[in-house]
Amino acid sequence: MTTSAAAESLDPPLDAARHIRYWQRCFHSVLPHHYTSNDSIRLTLGFFIISALDLLTPSSPTPLVPPEDRTRLRDWVLRLQHPHGGFCGSPHHVLPHALTTKFDPDTKTYVARDPSNANIAATGFALLCLGVLAEGEGSDTFRGVDRVRTLTWLKKLQREDGSFGEVLTDDGRISGGRDMRYCYIAAIIRWALGGAEGDRSLDFNVDALVAHIRRAQTYDGGMSESSMHESHSGYAYCAVAALALLDSADPDPQAIPNRYIHAGIPSIPSLIHFLVNRQFVYVGSDDDNDDDNDASNHPLPDMSPLSMSDAAIQMTGFNGRLNKLPDTCYTWWNSGALSLLGESNLINREPARRFILEKTQHRIGGFAKHPGGPPDVYHAYMGLAALATMAGAEGEPGLRLFDPRLCVSADAAARMAKAREAMLRPAENTDDSNSDGDD
Amino acid sequence: MPAKNKAGISKAKEAEAKQQEAAPQPQTVRELEWQRYRSTNPLRKIVEEQGFAKLSPADKRTYLNLELVRTPGQVDKLSKKGQRELWKHLSDANIPLRGTPRPRDDQWGHDKNGRDIGDYTLEEYSAYEQKKSRISELHLESTFFKVNRERADSKTRNEATGEIYTITEDDIAAEKARRQEMASLRNELYGVKTSSYARDPAWDDVVPIPQEEPEGALSAIAYADDYAEAMSYLRAVMAVKEYTPRCLQLTEAIIDMNPAHYTVWLYRFDIVKALNISVPAELEWLNEVSFEHLKNYQIWHHRQQLVDLYYPTIQADAEAVEAFALEEHNFLMQMFSKDTKNYHVWCYRQYLVRKLDLWGSDPEANCVDAMIEQDLRNNSAWSHRFFIVFNNPTLTTPNSLATEHDPLVPEFVIRREIEYAQEKIILAPQNQSSWNYLRGVLIKGDVPLATVFNFVNRFVKNLGEGDGDEEVLSSYALDLLADIYNEAGEKEKADLCLRRLGEKWDRIREGYWTYRRQMLGK
Repeated sequence: MTTSAAAESLDPPLDAARHIRYWQRCFHSVLPHHYTSNDSIRLTLGFFIISALDLLTPSSPTPLVPPEDRTRLRDWVLRLQHPHGGFCGSPHHVLPHALTTKFDPDTKTYVARDPSNANIAATGFALLCLGVLAEGEGSDTFRGVDRVRTLTWLKKLQREDGSFGEVLTDDGRISGGRDMRYCYIAAIIRWALGGAEGDRSLDFNVDALVAHIRRAQTYDGGMSESSMHESHSGYAYCAVAALALLDSADPDPQAIPNRYIHAGIPSIPSLIHFLVNRQFVYVGSDDDNDDDNDASNHPLPDMSPLSMSDAAIQMTGFNGRLNKLPDTCYTWWNSGALSLLGESNLINREPARRFILEKTQHRIGGFAKHPGGPPDVYHAYMGLAALATMAGAEGEPGLRLFDPRLCVSADAAARMAKAREAMLRPAENTDDSNSDGDD
Repeated sequence: MPAKNKAGISKAKEAEAKQQEAAPQPQTVRELEWQRYRSTNPLRKIVEEQGFAKLSPADKRTYLNLELVRTPGQVDKLSKKGQRELWKHLSDANIPLRGTPRPRDDQWGHDKNGRDIGDYTLEEYSAYEQKKSRISELHLESTFFKVNRERADSKTRNEATGEIYTITEDDIAAEKARRQEMASLRNELYGVKTSSYARDPAWDDVVPIPQEEPEGALSAIAYADDYAEAMSYLRAVMAVKEYTPRCLQLTEAIIDMNPAHYTVWLYRFDIVKALNISVPAELEWLNEVSFEHLKNYQIWHHRQQLVDLYYPTIQADAEAVEAFALEEHNFLMQMFSKDTKNYHVWCYRQYLVRKLDLWGSDPEANCVDAMIEQDLRNNSAWSHRFFIVFNNPTLTTPNSLATEHDPLVPEFVIRREIEYAQEKIILAPQNQSSWNYLRGVLIKGDVPLATVFNFVNRFVKNLGEGDGDEEVLSSYALDLLADIYNEAGEKEKADLCLRRLGEKWDRIREGYWTYRRQMLGK
């Protein structure tokens, strides 16, 4: 737990106990039927739940995820691993073992029979989950993960233009759009499993990826889903974080620091300009109707800069695109991106905190998307991520220190780094069954 | 010793029998069972209620002999003489040799509402038994149906009639009705739900594959009705790559409950191809789904795949392409009417422009204009405008980045776009979309920022001349002004702009304006 003079002046403070209750309910009970449409991303939901509890650790005298639970959950995550590389998004995507493998007479090897169940996003979140659930300093974090198969599979998901898809189809094609999120996930997997290590035979085409990201900067400085689409903070974060992870995993000790961030963003000042402009004064009323799609699209113009008032700015929300309403998660995406660009001080922190703590934080804990709305697992996590990131090296009282590259606690990130080291030096381990592909 | 009368029944028992005749009628099944027990085990009743000692010596003997007879294998251990004596005695005692077993409290179990079935009235219990036997009856008929169907499938001949077994539509309808009845009876009696797939004989050949989940799994979901069953059938048919109409329907059901399922869409596309379903027909269905699930991404990916499949078949026919473009356009406008900024729809629109070569299309250009007119702050519309102007293959360099100068773009285009942006800025000076657009155009055309100095200056008056006189109609104008001065080398004026922004005209970004001032020095 961090304390400092600045912590005393934080207004309002985070009511961590309330959030712990919310997350423990999510952890212990079954999610309601509205979440049926999230069935294919249960691994992602699970990540938010356990990582939130991990972040809230300093606020609880006893471990929020006890050791016996950690073992059981690790096993649950590992059961989602596809025998031929990658992870499936949920148990409904895991077939009985006999149906996952077939003999390919052409290559005379066993290959995946249901390749499309292995999903890139699921794989990234699986590794992050294992990081959060790891014990000790983390050498065993990735025990049971098939590093070679996963990295080999990841390579197959990259197209010639450098972008990544979501899954492989049955006939080996890449499916899923050229989404910036997949680029980010690919960078996470590469960092976590050491794709850049050794002879780099397991590494994907980094330069092509950087070129793809580069093409996504828009005329207003932001980054889009992929080339030429509208600028969007979520994709901006994914682009910057992907590049930051390429830098973190850079095997070349002589390399210029942040060379990938510079290579991947044609104009960093323009991107910063875009990101800082996502923050604006919140002037909503108490009867905000967030269910009305149309209302969220037509916010009042931000006339506040032109007002004559000298009053201190009370609350500021963030949007992800120009002229849209504030949404809790964009407080995270924007501050995360700026933090990775080394410019987190450009955010006006106090009003940003106040907006989410007073307007979107819910009575029962968690955060909602819009003021007055119900909390959901995704926005509840992003709210915590935003608070932790904006607090920087000091940390937000009640929360662990945060790693904005991976959107997890710094502890979890450190354990993952340790695990990678352990995987790559099998001679030092007693019974390493990970580092080669034979069965 | 009381006299043994011919019936061998003691007075105590006589009294007991009289008592029983006077006893009230049993109301519940339990009561009935107890009554039967006592009437067929009169001696046991006395032993249980009063103790063995209370029996007369004759009755004690009878009781013990009865126990002997009722214990399997014991009679055979007696000598022949002993057995003769035993039977003679029991025959003289004139007492039932067989009795109903002693009722147990829990022998009827509980119904689905937790009520003890032993407490059912006699009518209720009779109804209950009837339902149970009805289920058995139906089950038997269902078995006959399955046997006949197998015979029909393997074209077996009926030996008696010489005809090959067939299953008619009526047979199937009857079986469906049968299963429906069984399902509702099972639900009534046991609270068990039978999935619609288990009730449908058309799905009998599929062995469903439910998901495997240990207790206490993470992020478990209380699924909506039928989802788990439908998924177990989907997994089974996907595993064998079945491409039939029933599977198409199944994908529709899954998509309705979980449109973000990342493999069902791929599977559906494979079915559409295999069954040669017309793309327009599939698009019609997809349109409905799109209205239902506005934020879903997979829907648009599926649409794109369909268009990729369809386009080569109409490519050669210009009219057909135009008609298709119009239909798509109309549908997109319907989507926009629900949400003018739907990101997926705008991305798909870009795809369509490229695919159908709509760069120079008037409807396309007019539409974007109209959307900007309608809402100057619709940044998606501005973004699309930039796309169709600066990516037009006939007028621009392929692969030119959005952030860089493109020498191929004609001057008239740059001029037109600058004017357009300025027009819109005047209508709403504090709208960043139009200012960003202006900047983007200037960079594309490699036009010095100073070119728009007079225009920008309209929005800023008496800068730095005190709060009373200073007038700023647009903070974005002041931002651009700073860049103009910086480009021209007038660092002090640039600094003034940035300072005033931080101090007054855009105080939220105080830290940013300070940062910009620092950058000026470099």
